[in-house]
Amino acid sequence: MRDTVLLLAMNGLIWGLIIALIALGLSVIFGLLDIINIAHGDFFMVGTVLAWFSLSVTGNFWIGFIVAPLIGFVIGAIIQRLVIQPIHGVAALSIVATFGLSLILQEIVRITFGATPRRMLAPIQGTIPLFGVDYEIYRLFAAVIAVVALAGFFLFLQHTKLGIWMRAVRHDRETAIAMGIPAQRVYVLTFGVGFALAAFGGAVAAPITTVDFRGGVDVLPFCFMAVIIGGLGNLPGTVAAAVLLSFLEGLIQSFADPTVARISSLVLMSAVLLLRPQGLFKGFTK
Amino acid sequence: MTRRTIEIGMAASFAAFLIAVPWLIPALTDNFWVSVITEILIWSLFAASANLLFGYVGLLSFGQALYFGFGMYGVALGIDHFGLSFWPAFGLGIVAAMAMALLSGVFAVRLSWHYFAIITVVFSLIFYFLAVSMKPLTGGDDGINFSLPPVFRFGGAVWSLTDPTFQYFFVLAAVTVCFFLMYRVINSPLGKGFLAIRDNDLRASLIGLNVYVLRLIAFVMAGFLAGVSGALFAFFGRYASATYMFYQVSGEAVVWTIVGGAGTMFGPLVGTTLFIVIREIVSSHWEHHSLIVGLMAILVVIFAPKGIVGLWNGWMTRLGERDAAASVPPRLTLRADP
Repeated sequence: MRDTVLLLAMNGLIWGLIIALIALGLSVIFGLLDIINIAHGDFFMVGTVLAWFSLSVTGNFWIGFIVAPLIGFVIGAIIQRLVIQPIHGVAALSIVATFGLSLILQEIVRITFGATPRRMLAPIQGTIPLFGVDYEIYRLFAAVIAVVALAGFFLFLQHTKLGIWMRAVRHDRETAIAMGIPAQRVYVLTFGVGFALAAFGGAVAAPITTVDFRGGVDVLPFCFMAVIIGGLGNLPGTVAAAVLLSFLEGLIQSFADPTVARISSLVLMSAVLLLRPQGLFKGFTK
Repeated sequence: MTRRTIEIGMAASFAAFLIAVPWLIPALTDNFWVSVITEILIWSLFAASANLLFGYVGLLSFGQALYFGFGMYGVALGIDHFGLSFWPAFGLGIVAAMAMALLSGVFAVRLSWHYFAIITVVFSLIFYFLAVSMKPLTGGDDGINFSLPPVFRFGGAVWSLTDPTFQYFFVLAAVTVCFFLMYRVINSPLGKGFLAIRDNDLRASLIGLNVYVLRLIAFVMAGFLAGVSGALFAFFGRYASATYMFYQVSGEAVVWTIVGGAGTMFGPLVGTTLFIVIREIVSSHWEHHSLIVGLMAILVVIFAPKGIVGLWNGWMTRLGERDAAASVPPRLTLRADP
């Protein structure tokens, strides 16, 4: 019993770290561009598929970690120019446009990759004993990678020119433009970065979950909840909420079936929304 | 031609077309399209429920599928489980949907904008997962089938939805009544209250409107529209399934509404028709029709951000202005020299 609890809680924790990566992309896109991105789950799905293709073409799993975010970044930038820019950040229109995008991405993957879900073999096989449980090494590795990527993203936001630009435009667009920041280019890059984060999350998660053209559908509401519960615009809050939610769900799963666990985490979520609509972590960060 | 004559002419020919469908369509193509048009009517009513909330009250609901699902299961379980006849089952579906809308609305309408959108998704997901897991009762994703009871029985004569023409007129009548009710509400003082909240909820509350109660009324009304459409869809398909409660179904209603024109009476009808007709035409020739649907959605928001009906209204307004400019001689204005 203790073993199952531990195992499922660990699984939840690690899945939460991956969700945090994806939700961070969603939050950045939402915060900067006012785009409600219905296609974000599919960005993640594209990441898993890119990882699958790069493995089957090159035979090397690790290349996917570079290919998925890179291609994701390029597709994201192109999408911003072609689809997102013409709708001028009108939230209602962004829902329809990204709904269309979601259909197109899923269909393209269905044409190229096929409709049957596939499993990917983890590049690191085997288990190690951890607190008395034999735990898959790859999952631990994925957790480390996710933490590194999260830390890397926050460093990027704090210390690079582009990161500072992104924060400046988000904080006060007019002043940022007046100070000479090319807001239009920042938008393109931000959307690219958002897609890249989700795609990277997909590449990391590919051996843990299944690679499927509908793989983003389940992930999407979860990411939105992390963004809202973490507090709109609160990036560390988003990460904390994603990890917390997933961890709790894993914990509940150890004594109830997955659907009950999902339902209880949703009920918990509605309670948070109603009691603290400003997010769980308001007041903890600046 | 003035705007009014064009619009009256269009409305009249549209009404004539709808009445002629069961005879006109089989003469032109085949019977299959009668059932497609029936389905379009049902889904337009569903889109209208998202439109009532988003287009008239400014609440973006991503959870209308929940009330659609309750309408659907109310009918299916009413017939299959409780052995009800047609009308009680229909009533059960509508009441179940409205009760659910009241229950979730009490909490949901306290929030607005993003938070409202998220909580409606969360509520609908909770019941989606419940419906999936309660397989013995709901049939889960596979759903439950039932056989239709007759609608009316007078002596020996029996009217039942198994007759496609009767089914079409039954759906047409129900949908028309609902659209008419919605039209009356929108043009009543209550509807003006809705619009005031949509445009500025703070101002609405300052002039003495009870924003919470008005939103709740709108939410239950939208639940009614979604419930009726769900009940009709259950009768139409003779089954109910949990898949129709998933958030993507709610999303489609929002998309159809915005593409057709949110905040207009006919927007949902136009949007729904566009998407379903394209789906039916393209999917018989090409497997990957989603590509076309996705592209359409994107093109419409880029080139007609107010939706198709909004685009039309813009044309009509310009036409009206041109007519006014042509018919009224320029008025002489006196202006004092500076």
